[in-house]
Amino acid sequence: MMNKKTIFFFVLALASLQGYSQKARKLSFIGGARSSVFSNALSVSDTLADTTTAKNNYGGYTLLDLGFNIQPNKQTEIMGMFRIKNNYGGFWGSGVQFDVRQLWVKGVVGNALRYQIGDLNLRQSQFTLYNHHADQLDSMPSVFKLQQNIVSYEQFYQNNTWRMQGANVDFGLSFSKFLKEINFNGFVTRLNATNFANVNERLMTGGNINILQSNQFRFGYTYNSTFDLKGTTANNNLFSNTIHTFDWSINHAIAQNTLKLAGEAGISNWNYTADTLAPVLNDYFVNAYAKLYLAYFNTHISVGYLNVGPDFRSIGAQSKDVNYNSPTLFFNRFTNNQQLRPITLIDMIGNDNIYNRTISTSLASENEVFNDILPFGLATFNRVGAYGKLQFQSKNKIHVQAEVYRLNEIRGQGSDALKAFSQIKLNSKIPFHTLIGLANKLEVQVGLRLQQTNRNSIYATENIDYKNLQVSLGMNYEIIPDLEFLAGFVQQQNNGNSFITERNDYSEVTYFRNSNYNLTQQIAAVGLRINFSPKAYLCALLQQSSYQDRSELNNKAMADFKINQFGLIYNILL
Amino acid sequence: MKKTLLLFVGLVSIGLSACRKENTFDGPSINEINSKFAILESFKVDKATADFENSNAIFSARFNKIVSWKITIKGSISKSTKIISGESKVIDASNATWNGSTTLFPLFKTENCTATLLIASEDDSASTTISISKTKLLPSGARMVANFENGLDPKWTKFFQSGASMECLVKADNFAPEGTKYLNMGGTVNWDWLIGLVDFNASAYNSNVTFPLSNNPEAEYFNVLIYGDPDPKTNMTKALFQFKEDENSDGVFDPTKEDEYDYSVDVNWVGWRLVSVKYADIVTLVNGNPASPNGNKQHNPDKIGKISFLQLADPNLGFARCKIDLISFTQNKALDL
Repeated sequence: MMNKKTIFFFVLALASLQGYSQKARKLSFIGGARSSVFSNALSVSDTLADTTTAKNNYGGYTLLDLGFNIQPNKQTEIMGMFRIKNNYGGFWGSGVQFDVRQLWVKGVVGNALRYQIGDLNLRQSQFTLYNHHADQLDSMPSVFKLQQNIVSYEQFYQNNTWRMQGANVDFGLSFSKFLKEINFNGFVTRLNATNFANVNERLMTGGNINILQSNQFRFGYTYNSTFDLKGTTANNNLFSNTIHTFDWSINHAIAQNTLKLAGEAGISNWNYTADTLAPVLNDYFVNAYAKLYLAYFNTHISVGYLNVGPDFRSIGAQSKDVNYNSPTLFFNRFTNNQQLRPITLIDMIGNDNIYNRTISTSLASENEVFNDILPFGLATFNRVGAYGKLQFQSKNKIHVQAEVYRLNEIRGQGSDALKAFSQIKLNSKIPFHTLIGLANKLEVQVGLRLQQTNRNSIYATENIDYKNLQVSLGMNYEIIPDLEFLAGFVQQQNNGNSFITERNDYSEVTYFRNSNYNLTQQIAAVGLRINFSPKAYLCALLQQSSYQDRSELNNKAMADFKINQFGLIYNILL
Repeated sequence: MKKTLLLFVGLVSIGLSACRKENTFDGPSINEINSKFAILESFKVDKATADFENSNAIFSARFNKIVSWKITIKGSISKSTKIISGESKVIDASNATWNGSTTLFPLFKTENCTATLLIASEDDSASTTISISKTKLLPSGARMVANFENGLDPKWTKFFQSGASMECLVKADNFAPEGTKYLNMGGTVNWDWLIGLVDFNASAYNSNVTFPLSNNPEAEYFNVLIYGDPDPKTNMTKALFQFKEDENSDGVFDPTKEDEYDYSVDVNWVGWRLVSVKYADIVTLVNGNPASPNGNKQHNPDKIGKISFLQLADPNLGFARCKIDLISFTQNKALDL
């Protein structure tokens, strides 16, 4: 209690100081504070009652992120953010963590060249450096979004960026004739440090030239390279992965409507210099689309063609936010056999433990339970086909988004027969308060995603018939001003058979493990949120998730289980 | 210009398509993985009698699909065991070469051995025999500190506490993992951590005050065979190896001015185990915790003047026991027995 009071007064003092410092324009404070407490209860339906693992778990923490933003002159800005975190049960040293959360310097040289050194949030194109969040629900109900936002804050996920450390520069040139402007961007970051024995220093460099010829025509070149730095250890087997891409966009007005023809194409190379067993992978990708905006209907319609080669490798675009090999935050093992609990919807939504902060140095593991078709987003290798998208917003703010993908493998996986993939997505947000004239906000979200994978081979053992259906429903009702009732439900159903691909360190396929699914996952939640300001809220949550595996052939079927969770979150951004 | 661009994109696409490698499919054939298992070439070894001083033995077999396999080679006299395992369709020199080394000690002797191939997933097995005419030599460049075949060298310094049930002597029995003898040490001392110690002084080996090792700590590996037999009540035996560097080569180790590096092993397993560590990875310990060394703070294997083996036990528990053998240094890699 005393701890909370101390933090409250500390935050209050900082807020006053911020007001004072802003006048001086030299020093300001930013950051946030959060207190979270969760109580979790596990119930397992096993053939033998589970008597060996704990069934209840309580935990929580209070944290304060305090950032100092210093502007020693008009051209320079320095940011340092510290975190004090105290897990509940830890007092005065025990359980208290003190970390540096952010540290960077940025500025402008000669009113032309912008630079940033230290922590960087970087993103290039979808095929070079991009955090796809490929396995996340597109239409996440607000009650879950609230938890997902905490994960994003913890892992520095901002607009598909990856958090990295290094240096970044950008500058632009304007022209009066032929070209409108050319913008340049370049960075170098450190992916992993050498251990001075056999792991070399690994860096990533990238650059982009973006040429705006006119408002109708733009083209660009993007470069990305991940490589081991020679001489940082005695190990002369140096890894490199290089991608060159070319992108373009042409806008054409047709009466009130606009037609956009855009796309990106490029090549990749992946190799080790000294390892004779390592393959050299070279391949290319093409993604081209036409997007039509119909002003009368306030609708965007796109059709596209995607071709990403089976050997296309891009560490920056094929890293995943979720690390499926991570232990879950609670009830990591269960049943009398001490089985590893699989990652389920409740972990995907609010367990920041399973999320990667930065890109991995090798090909990330996929999980066909959550995404079998585009596990690396558009950068998923070995895919060719077409897609269509529709986005519509009515005058009374009903928002509808639909997507269809029809893709095929380019190269077979353990079979000459190729897999065929189809995916349908439908998301909608309906503001009922505007439709029925309610004074208070009442918003409903619905979402559906159906993935289907098929393979028909001359050998019956190679056939695949796998479906993944995800439906979500969310509601957000403002009971009185600044008091909201939130509710959400997500169900995911996996049915059929699939072959899980096992790969070696060089991303080569070594084995296919047959898996049969008859799996149902559900998560339902209700919550009450008090908004103290747009940047501060208190929320009480009650949620239940269930995992039911009815497959008999899936090696050893996982025991069914339920997790009930009650939580309180107090979140404030300074 | 737009037409030119579209033409360019089209040409690039066609050009790129021509570059793509046309493989049939990635990975092993799923049809093959799911087919009925069959041995296409029977399990055999390339020689009936192996001379491991001069050559290796190569096992071979071929299956119709990728399987996990395990070859277990057992010595008829030594009862030593070598295990080679893998996952492949073919067993050959690339994955099943035996250089006479051991997985489960003792070491192999000149004896007849039976090699059994087990494919557990298919519930199938096959056997062959091989006779050892000459056992594997220690690698060239290996420097022996102690194998106890000649007992305790009088030039070594020894100290054993006078506790209860104390036994600190070189034994010759079936426990010997290599040769015929090993050092057995154990007993109960409930007033001190130390059970006993042996100092291996460099002067016992040559006329120099330091061991004949190179000056590269990244290239020198320390190896020792330790037999663990922890008392189930205490589960407490520590084997501590101290490396005392005589940096000024005056024949005397000064702990206040010269480096001492310490390698502590909790002997909490049952049976013989080969313990190896790179000299550069050994740190200084004070009361079991890492600390800064007192000398030039650089690992100088060529300056080691004394190696001490101490057997320790928590005085509150009192009891410790272990056996040790084959204390040695190898170059560039750990000892492979």
